[in-house]
Amino acid sequence: MEGDKTLATSASTKAVEEESLAALNMDEAILSQRRGIEEQIASEQQYLVSSTRELSELERDYQHHGEFSARIQELKLIYGCLRRTRADGNCFYRAFGFSVFEALRKNKAAYQAFRKSITEAKEYLVIIGYPTFTLEDFYENFIEELDKVCDGEGCPISQLEELFNDKGMSNYLVVFLRLITSSQLQKEQDFFINFIDGYSTVKEFCSQEIEPMDKESDHVQMNALTSATGVCMRVFCMERGQYSTVTFPSDGKPIIHLLYRPGHFDILYPSADATADSPTL
Amino acid sequence: MTEERGALLLRKQLAELNKSCTEGFSAGLIDDEDIYRWEVVIYGPPDTNYEGGYFKAHLIFPKEYPDRPPKLTFVSEIWHPNIDKNGDVCISILHEPGDDNYGYEKAAERWLPIHTVETILISVISMLADPNDESPANVDAAKEWRDFPDSFKKKVVRCVRRSQEEL
Repeated sequence: MEGDKTLATSASTKAVEEESLAALNMDEAILSQRRGIEEQIASEQQYLVSSTRELSELERDYQHHGEFSARIQELKLIYGCLRRTRADGNCFYRAFGFSVFEALRKNKAAYQAFRKSITEAKEYLVIIGYPTFTLEDFYENFIEELDKVCDGEGCPISQLEELFNDKGMSNYLVVFLRLITSSQLQKEQDFFINFIDGYSTVKEFCSQEIEPMDKESDHVQMNALTSATGVCMRVFCMERGQYSTVTFPSDGKPIIHLLYRPGHFDILYPSADATADSPTL
Repeated sequence: MTEERGALLLRKQLAELNKSCTEGFSAGLIDDEDIYRWEVVIYGPPDTNYEGGYFKAHLIFPKEYPDRPPKLTFVSEIWHPNIDKNGDVCISILHEPGDDNYGYEKAAERWLPIHTVETILISVISMLADPNDESPANVDAAKEWRDFPDSFKKKVVRCVRRSQEEL
């Protein structure tokens, strides 16, 4: 009797172990594949934020998709050039950060307003109990870099390019932009809960999709980060059949422009002769 | 530069932890020259089988910290469902989202750059007090904890005594 029990126990233990071993191997294979893809992207895209590029460069991305060339022509009517960002899951925050710093460099009033709103966003996280030690460090670093970029006459663009391509510094800025986004989502959770799929609370969504590095962004993130910072942003959404533009907030005058292709964001610059603010867009 | 930001953040935390009194653990470096390798002593939480133990563990940070989580390994012998036989600690906050190796439910909190040494160790202390047998790293310890609590306790008490002797 006793012996049977031991036998049964050890058999079931073995089954559990085998099962978890199989799951472990599968997960490790997925994880190692993911790391492989990350390395490949990093080797193809040496930059985190590229230098300015011609829009015609985009045609190369779509050699076998003729329908996109019409979209690129439409894009060229409004925009002059772009900067690419690395496709590492942080592209929205990096593109947002770079273009905001660039825009605020020569705009003292907007710089002060932005500085104030990110401070408030940070304060909100303190109130709801975020670990202040790390939070203050990310905040202070962000403010320090922002001040360096915007003080006086504004730093040269090369300095900004250097800042956002230094992986350690650049990611530190991304971490804080993710926290600001999280702060806004939680502050306005009664509103944002309506736009979140697959999570029962906004808090859970933030700790799974917003605050960890490398997690991609969509409409909810764009809405939250622009409303938290008061930055008006226009996004040119390029899809197969059509394009559309979205402005956050819809009645604002955009100071930054991003290009959205499903799953990825780059930075756009309106061409000098186009009226990018035209309400017909 | 990744190294420098992360290293600076670790240095600040070390200074802060040494300045103020922490509850439930103490922390220092394995080697004063290397800010990425910490040695911590975790006190067995009161009113648990682990009470009275001083468990030594190594907290090793990757160069990508705080983007990526550190790894925590017990150096002292310890018998627990969520610590494997090599001493590696398997709790969800030390894993990145998407890293589902240990069958964590989706909602379990994962690594976030905002976590500190203190928040990590608080999670470890709560894991000691409250094992999770749904994702055991040590299947034998998990079964024993569930089915034969007396012999489980005996093993833990032996570890507690050994940790006191080694101190």
